[in-house]
Amino acid sequence: MRPFDWRWLVVSSLLAGALAADAETRTQYGGTAHVAMRAAPTSLDPADGTQPDSFARRSLTMLMFDTLVTTDENEHVQAALATSWQASTGNQRWQFRLRHGVKFHDGTPLTAEVAAASLRAANPSWNVLVDADSVVIERDGADPELLAELALPRNAIAKRNSDSKPSGTGPFHIVDWQPAKRLTLAAEEACWRGRPFLDGVEVEMGRSFRDQMMALDLGKADWVEVAPEQSRRISAEGRLLASSLPIELMALVFTRDVKSADDRMLRESLALSVERGSIRSVLLQGAGQPAASILPNWLSGYAFVFPTDADLPRARHAREQVRTIPTWSVGYDGSDPVARLLAERIALNARDAGLSLQPTTANAADLRLVRISLASPDPWIALANAAALTGMPPVKSTGGSVEDLYAAEQAALATQRIIPLFHLPVSYAVATTLKNWTLRRDGSWSLADAWIGSGKP
Amino acid sequence: MTFRRKLLTVFALTVFLSVAAVTGLVLAVTRSAFEKTEGQRTAALITQFQQEFKHQGEEVARRVDTIAASEPVTRMATTLNGAASSTPADSAGYFELAKSMAESRQFDFLELVDGHGTIISSAQWPAKFGYPEAAFENLSASSEQGAFLKQEELQDSTALGLFAVRATRVGDHPIYVIGGRRLDKSFLSALDLPVDMRALLYQNRGDHFSPDLLLDPSSGENISEGVKPAEKFAPLIEAVRQYNQEMTGIVHWSSDQADDEVFHAIPLRGVGKERPLLGILLIGNSRRSYVELKRHIRASALLVGGGGIVLAILLSSWVAARVTRPVGQLARAARSVAAGNWDTRVEVPGTDELSQLADSFNRMTTELLTQKERLVQTERVAAWRELARRLAHELKNPLFPLQLTVENLVRARMQSPEQFDEVFRESSRTLLAEISNLKAIIGRFSEFSKMPHPQLQQVSVNELVRGVAQLFQAQLQAPGREPIDCKFEFDERLGPIAADPELLHRALSNLVLNAMDAMPKGGTLTLRTKPYDGKVIIEIADTGSGLTREECERIFTPYYTSKQHGTGLGLAIVQSVVSDHGGRISVQSEPGRGTTFMIELPSNPDTLQGTKS
Repeated sequence: MRPFDWRWLVVSSLLAGALAADAETRTQYGGTAHVAMRAAPTSLDPADGTQPDSFARRSLTMLMFDTLVTTDENEHVQAALATSWQASTGNQRWQFRLRHGVKFHDGTPLTAEVAAASLRAANPSWNVLVDADSVVIERDGADPELLAELALPRNAIAKRNSDSKPSGTGPFHIVDWQPAKRLTLAAEEACWRGRPFLDGVEVEMGRSFRDQMMALDLGKADWVEVAPEQSRRISAEGRLLASSLPIELMALVFTRDVKSADDRMLRESLALSVERGSIRSVLLQGAGQPAASILPNWLSGYAFVFPTDADLPRARHAREQVRTIPTWSVGYDGSDPVARLLAERIALNARDAGLSLQPTTANAADLRLVRISLASPDPWIALANAAALTGMPPVKSTGGSVEDLYAAEQAALATQRIIPLFHLPVSYAVATTLKNWTLRRDGSWSLADAWIGSGKP
Repeated sequence: MTFRRKLLTVFALTVFLSVAAVTGLVLAVTRSAFEKTEGQRTAALITQFQQEFKHQGEEVARRVDTIAASEPVTRMATTLNGAASSTPADSAGYFELAKSMAESRQFDFLELVDGHGTIISSAQWPAKFGYPEAAFENLSASSEQGAFLKQEELQDSTALGLFAVRATRVGDHPIYVIGGRRLDKSFLSALDLPVDMRALLYQNRGDHFSPDLLLDPSSGENISEGVKPAEKFAPLIEAVRQYNQEMTGIVHWSSDQADDEVFHAIPLRGVGKERPLLGILLIGNSRRSYVELKRHIRASALLVGGGGIVLAILLSSWVAARVTRPVGQLARAARSVAAGNWDTRVEVPGTDELSQLADSFNRMTTELLTQKERLVQTERVAAWRELARRLAHELKNPLFPLQLTVENLVRARMQSPEQFDEVFRESSRTLLAEISNLKAIIGRFSEFSKMPHPQLQQVSVNELVRGVAQLFQAQLQAPGREPIDCKFEFDERLGPIAADPELLHRALSNLVLNAMDAMPKGGTLTLRTKPYDGKVIIEIADTGSGLTREECERIFTPYYTSKQHGTGLGLAIVQSVVSDHGGRISVQSEPGRGTTFMIELPSNPDTLQGTKS
């Protein structure tokens, strides 16, 4: 049997969207879209760094807030709240002119002061100034990636109120907010981009994949998340599936730096012992791509040069260089059904190399099996963000060339703080009645232009 | 030890030994019965375990049969047989099949293994797909057999299970279904255990005993902690592991023997040529009932024994009193008889042996009294005869000269009147002399009959003896006789005694005279004084001719004398004086080696005080 290729999922999902749009092109106003998600954020503030980044959070943010700029599917920067911008002093000083007539959901106008305050809250290290109706951002050095950075949801412009419900300028405003449980949004009639087709969006949070799928089957949800290992079965069952490019990195992350030469050898042995191919085939049911790099190949273009096959002889050889073998605990997310199996399998592979790994759901562990949502389709930003999340040395763009990117990633991997395992796509099952939805390259979705149809293709 | 104590000891010892013997016998019988019962119960439990094992095994085999024949497994077998070569990717779609089927069939363990022994799907360790099944060779050979024991490796431990293997054959490559149920607490709990019995299971793993591998359905997850530490099983487990055979041992949980348990360890073996030791079934039987019964018996024995001993003491005291009272009376009567009370009699209470003894005693004293009276009468007659003889002898000697003198006077009157006056004068002198002699004889007899009572006063014995010696000093060295040396051996520590100095002086003088008479050829007279046991000893010893034994026995008899001209009253007077002083005189002599008279006199301090006052 040939291995399942995720590309077919992408193609099929896009084709399905196209067909849907083609078959029922007459848009309809009204209706409420129901969304279910596993994530359970307790805050809607885009700049709240205490909340874990997730595709769901990014999606929700972009329903309620707008950024100064956005990127299109070709990664070209587009105007949003900022109508124009100008860089000077070697990309160190950026000035953004704000769009006129834009109002927050509470009716107050968007001003440079409010925008600057929002950006300062999201980026305390930035020097954000106000110049008439413009916002000026001064960096310590040249920052060619600032536009891509500003396009991230966490840099969305929000006006923070005392009721823990920040006000935005996006297509939907908050009607009801029960942290970590439920969010009810209503269409913003006075949105500067125009009123959305949907009257509202209801979001159920903290729902398991299984519950989400049941809600979809029962017609109680229109947009649900699908675990990567379930995507093939969902697709085979004829459901409408939307999958992104592999944008999520699954990796083993050590909680501390390399301490000694023995530690380095043991980490190398572990990295060489993992049978990514078998794990992808069976546990992930063909989803995703085996990875030995942080960035996926579609993002970097060079990921294929990092070998992903297990090399047990080399792993054993590396392990044999070490006299005392410690037992490492491998932490995993207990609520993630596949994480436990992955941890056990990795421990089994490690045992073949002579290593001792003990899977655990405890927070304190020697290394953790984590999913890292790559922050942006911009490779530098994705790499820098991943490095920041995993405790690696900061990655700074030096010129933007592929060689520089490769060198930066190589340097990051050389720290042996991380053992990349897989690049996984983000998949969603969609009700056939939901039309014109959008799946962004960063894995987030948008219902800003979606509408409820009859359900016929 | 008195007879009463001996009797009491014998009684108590008899009771104690009897109770001890009975207790020991009962304990031995109890132990034997307990061990027999324990053996029967253990055998019954083993049989039950085997039946439960067989029943569970049949159930496991039946369920594995069902799974092997199920549609999903058959479809999987068909699919995998169609592939050119089996890879994880080919079997990925069946990754969760074992888990779902194990849940529906209530299996703890279920693995689907291809013909090469590679795990396709595992319920107990899902991550183990693609890995070879360790015991595949043995398992595939057991595919048509019944259930068997198998130790299953899990993610972080191992488990002992009851397994069965069945093959699903669709094409050339069979798919093996290896299903099993965990041999755990629930399995042990299913055993219908009698009271005081319990069953535990040890999973044999590793090189040494580990408490974590011991399953006890009566405790928590395991019994490695708590009041009954599992380490106590280590010796028994290690013995079974070493000898690979059934063993029995006692586990002491505490210092209290009632907490002990007897454990029967049965090795549980797996399949294959080597039949590895996979587990050890421990069947425990509490010894509480036995120990408590033993304690009850011991307590009863102690109670009975103690009571018996007390009863024996009382009984033996009563019996001994009844037996020894007549004996005591006899002893007291004998002492009374010895003291001179010849008419002493004892009570004759019945007709038993002691009564007969008492009667004999009474008859003996009666007979002794009669014989004594006869003897006294005889002696009295003999004494009178002796007295008469002595009187006749004493009186006859003076009478004969008197007769001759009177006849001479008559003859002189008739034949020579001229010489009559001269004869008359001479005859008158002779007559007066003989009459005087007669008077002296009569006086001595009269004196003997009128011995005065001692007038006690403070007397120094040494001074008294020295005075007597000085009185005779001249005679001892008198010319015309062989000289006699006089030696004094006085103990100067002697104090005064209560005595009549005149009588004592007279008695000592008699003895000194006798000694001088005994040494006509000279010799040594030794006068000795010394204290002895609160008394004063006075010895008068000579080196004369000595006395025969018969003479020694009769020498104090009145009127007996060994001298040619003695009256036989001297020593009788001495004995009378000594006796009147509360003392005693004895004689030691051998012919040719001299004679020693020894006088014992009481110090009589009380008498002396009374005398002073």
